[in-house]
Amino acid sequence: MNPLHLLKLEWKRYWPNGTFRMIGALYASSFALVLFLARAAGRNMTFTSNGVTSHPLAGLFVYPQNWELLACIGSWMNVFLLGSLGVFMITMEFSNRTLRQSVIFGMTRLEVAVSKLVWSVALALAATGLYILLVFGWEVLDGWGLGLPLAGSVASFFLQALGYLFLGTLAGLFIRQTAPAVLAYLAYVFILETVCRWVFYFYVAKTRLLLFLPNQVLWALTPLPVPESVNHLVHSNAFIKPLSPAEADLTALVYLGMFAMLFCRRIVKSDL
Amino acid sequence: MPALTVRNLSKNYGSLVALDGLDLTVEAGQVFGLLGPNGSGKTTLLAVLLDVLHPSGGSFTWFEGREGENVRKRIGALLETPNFYPYLNADQNLSIVASIKRVSSPVPDALLELVQLKERRRSPYKTYSLGMKQRLALAACLVGDPDVLILDEPTNGLDPEGMVEVRHIIQKIAAQGKTIILASHMLDEVEKICSHVAIIKKGRLLAVGAVGSILSDQPTVEAGAVDIEKLFQLLSSAALVKKITRSGNYLILELESGRNPGELNRLAFEHGIILDHLILKRQSLEVEFLEITRQ
Repeated sequence: MNPLHLLKLEWKRYWPNGTFRMIGALYASSFALVLFLARAAGRNMTFTSNGVTSHPLAGLFVYPQNWELLACIGSWMNVFLLGSLGVFMITMEFSNRTLRQSVIFGMTRLEVAVSKLVWSVALALAATGLYILLVFGWEVLDGWGLGLPLAGSVASFFLQALGYLFLGTLAGLFIRQTAPAVLAYLAYVFILETVCRWVFYFYVAKTRLLLFLPNQVLWALTPLPVPESVNHLVHSNAFIKPLSPAEADLTALVYLGMFAMLFCRRIVKSDL
Repeated sequence: MPALTVRNLSKNYGSLVALDGLDLTVEAGQVFGLLGPNGSGKTTLLAVLLDVLHPSGGSFTWFEGREGENVRKRIGALLETPNFYPYLNADQNLSIVASIKRVSSPVPDALLELVQLKERRRSPYKTYSLGMKQRLALAACLVGDPDVLILDEPTNGLDPEGMVEVRHIIQKIAAQGKTIILASHMLDEVEKICSHVAIIKKGRLLAVGAVGSILSDQPTVEAGAVDIEKLFQLLSSAALVKKITRSGNYLILELESGRNPGELNRLAFEHGIILDHLILKRQSLEVEFLEITRQ
């Protein structure tokens, strides 16, 4: 099982697909558009105090916070578009019956599963590459000079992109039809997990473990870069202490492993 | 050498038994027909053999287990309907098949010529007629020059011209000495193409062997006379007739072993009946199939 061979195979399947290209283009263009709007907002939102004009969130738009801010903006693209792309990649195979056809043509079930996972990793890398390019572009456009990428932000962005891709592929694998699978994925990410978390919090136990639910962890990978004073205020008054970056990264890695294993197991064990 | 050995294979969907302890051996080079009415378990059997479905019990081995995990890369298969990416053309779809089978692409022209798709190789799959889709599926089966071909109802949904085209392609492939497993409920198709046949019903094997051995030695005779009722009464009690049935204005007669239509003609003449219709028919697989599946 050569991962590069599997990657080439997936490229042949997906690259010519119109929906795949459209979601990819939407991801790149909306990411760039939101960045453009953020820059514009950053310039215009100023206030004057004691004769000095400044921006209330001025700290966010300069290096190194700009890396965190853009990761935060990108997290919305990850959750909506990469998750939906993950769903589509699998449901498209079911609707064309090409997943089973790959097995009929001679792929082992494990090869089929691993090829999807390898492709997801490649997409997450591409998304991370776009994120890095956009920040560099921003830095160059605003004449700051190139600030080196924040390793933590880049790694967390990659983990988050991969996490939502994996969640989407799992929804696609279990539900098999595009519209219900996308709805289920979005419902889980935005409603179900949050509702469960609060119900558990108020009626069962006020435990910090609730922050280790899958979407909580993925969302915590790219926190909003607020000024330190605000951050301190939020943390000191929070019901539960938020996840630290290290906690979020490590737990996300564990979840990625679990998602990948569940994905492989489902394809290997079920009738296609 | 056996290309395929199936031992006590079963597949259940809850309480529904799709395959019931099937035993089967297909030798290399055979053109093996799987016959059975709709819902008899033919497609389920092939799906299990291709690892699309998991068996509930029993086992099977390809090439006596000598090829290991990559054995299915030596098998070309068409299961139920052709499944390809609708937005890709023939070349692109076959290139994916070539990648899966780890053979070099692009796809040879000869392959597309064989299935008569060379002119439309750059058209998206979604623009193909059903016959063209079926022919592309046959081409996909042949990518990598496989040792075994599995074809499940390959002429399903085709018009008569398309059926003849696909049948000719299969016969050309069979002439190359490849092992072919052909599932069909079309007896005529199996009879024309296959050297061996297995008949299954409700997931159970009813008969298996060379097509010639499945067919009865004795010919069937179709006879008619002006007074068909008198002929029927005569032949109903005649020792040379094993079985007699009416078919419109004629009688269909199965003769006892070693008897021939000449004796039948003489017997009728001796009793004052002039036959105005006497046709010797080879026993068809259809008659045998109906006989076996009726049991």
